[in-house]
Amino acid sequence: MTEASPVRRGSLRRRLLVTLIGTVAVIWLATAGVSYLDARHRVNELLDAHLAQSAALLVAQTGQELEEIDTEHAPLLHKYGRRVAFQVWEHGEALRLHSVNAPSHRLSSREDGFSDTTVDGKSWRVFSSWDGDHHYLIQVAERASTRERIAADIGRNLLVPLLIAVPLLGLLVWLSVVRGTRPLLTLGQAVERRDPLDVAPLDIGGAPSEIAPLVASLNSLFGRIATLIEHERRFTADAAHELRTPIAALRAQAQVALAAASDSERRRALDLVLSGCDRIAHLVSQLLTLARLEPVQSARQSGNCELRAVAKEVVAELAPAALAKNVDIELDTVPSAMIAGEPALLAVLLRNLIDNAVRYSPDNTLVRVTLDARDGFFVLAVTDQGSGVSPDLRSRLGERFFRIVGSDAPGSGLGLSIVRRIAELHGASVQFAEGSGGKGLRVTVTFPATPQARSSGKPSAS
Amino acid sequence: MRILIVEDDHSLGEAFRVGLRQQGFETDWVRDGIAAAHALKTEPYSAVVLDLGLPRLEGLELLRRLRAAGNKVPVVIVTARDPIEDRVRGLDTGADDYIVKPVDLQELAARLRALARRAHGEADPVLRMGDLSLEPAAHRVTFRGQTVELQAREFALLQELMVNAGRVLSREQLERRLYAWGEEVASNAVEVHIHHLRRKLAPHLIRTVRGVGYLMPRDAHD
Repeated sequence: MTEASPVRRGSLRRRLLVTLIGTVAVIWLATAGVSYLDARHRVNELLDAHLAQSAALLVAQTGQELEEIDTEHAPLLHKYGRRVAFQVWEHGEALRLHSVNAPSHRLSSREDGFSDTTVDGKSWRVFSSWDGDHHYLIQVAERASTRERIAADIGRNLLVPLLIAVPLLGLLVWLSVVRGTRPLLTLGQAVERRDPLDVAPLDIGGAPSEIAPLVASLNSLFGRIATLIEHERRFTADAAHELRTPIAALRAQAQVALAAASDSERRRALDLVLSGCDRIAHLVSQLLTLARLEPVQSARQSGNCELRAVAKEVVAELAPAALAKNVDIELDTVPSAMIAGEPALLAVLLRNLIDNAVRYSPDNTLVRVTLDARDGFFVLAVTDQGSGVSPDLRSRLGERFFRIVGSDAPGSGLGLSIVRRIAELHGASVQFAEGSGGKGLRVTVTFPATPQARSSGKPSAS
Repeated sequence: MRILIVEDDHSLGEAFRVGLRQQGFETDWVRDGIAAAHALKTEPYSAVVLDLGLPRLEGLELLRRLRAAGNKVPVVIVTARDPIEDRVRGLDTGADDYIVKPVDLQELAARLRALARRAHGEADPVLRMGDLSLEPAAHRVTFRGQTVELQAREFALLQELMVNAGRVLSREQLERRLYAWGEEVASNAVEVHIHHLRRKLAPHLIRTVRGVGYLMPRDAHD
């Protein structure tokens, strides 16, 4: 888990940090920008109003007192005085009055309202107005740099707190992200520290509501794994138990053969050793079949398969052995039975069913294998004329290693478990009933037909 | 010594039946708990080989009933169940020994002999009676320092008489201890074997109690 992964994985913490701090910074900057623009606009308005007001004041005074004003001695009354200038032009041509810092030529060529000009390399905001008699042209100006400086001050006042606050905010966000994601890390460590066979539920006390579902699903996964492990363990224990008796028999028969006093006694013991070997081999192969079927999820994806062909093949394969036991086999089938499934597995299913039937059949009896179509299903039935199974024991058929007590026929006790499992993989159901006339056992496996087989009308309601 | 084998597996039961017979025991074999209970009620067994997973009546339940009824016959459990708890439960239910399959036939025979010996309160594996000694494990009888050749049935008869020394055993009792089910017993078989034993050993070793049976006196010295 700690190995460097070739895929670059984003850190949740980093992502949260970048997003949170980035968003805050962008919003703050946008607010600052808007505030700055708004403030500058208002400052401009205010200063323009002052310019206009000053011009109006001058206009009011020009009428009576102009002659008395010394053009050379208009006083500077404020430190910003140098930045504010005025000119009074008679008929717009003769400079009659001006402030100390005003140039000797016109501040603006405009004679009415606001204008922006550059005089002697300096930018001015100028307000021009004629007096009531259109005798004097009044021009009041203010250096543009003043306004820029005020705007810059406002901007700075907006940005400085941001520069201090963002790192502080970053720290706070970092701390809360670390705190907030700690349960995730704790969970990760708890899972990582785990022994592979430890399937006890995780206990993350007080897990936040976002993590609780993850813990819950992990715990449910552990639960399922526990069931699986227990299943495996029981299977292994059962298998070991089931192998002990045949191996004990094999060993004892071998000792009997060694100690035999006569050839016939030795021969009989050795025959039993051989059949014991076959029995163990059969048990082992059945165990392997079951073990191989265990992880399979479904066999229905492997395509369509003609169950009739499988049945014919298996019956042909098992017929010689049955006939040697004086048991007849008969196959009675619909012309076609297409189901979704795996032919090899279906053959195993049929082989087990027929093998069982033959095994428990007395001499001179019949094993019937039938394949019928019924309401969109194909019904495979294997019926023997043996001693049957009592109704209370039928429900236990198919349990692993369950064998009918007192039956002489050798068997692994796994055949019907395999049948059940393969049926399950094909979405089929298995039923046990008595055979015709209340004699023997009938095992029925009901397979769903393929949609094509259903629509072609072959498995019609009959 | 007649042994009852209770084992539902066909092949293993058959092997025990024949194998223990080769080791000098008389053996009867039943395949379920009910049949075993019946056999134990009616027949005189020296020991029982008991499987646990039995049809009709579980091995442990059979054992419990046997002990509850006061039957003291030695019982060896031979089973595929190996967990410690099962062994403890088996022994605590009244078994005298517990063996997990697979088992060696010679070892099983030795354990059966040991249990039968203990059941008669003996520790010495050799039965001794004055100049007569009998070793069940080696199937050897010596009398006055000489090895005596005995047939299997004669050996078994002598062993029964020695084990029960001082007690009168009827002909029928002896037959049931010497012959397993299904074995042909001639009506005078016991008399014939007694006759042979007297001839091969000494006539006075085995006394006849007319109308009752036979007895080997505890002080059968000469």
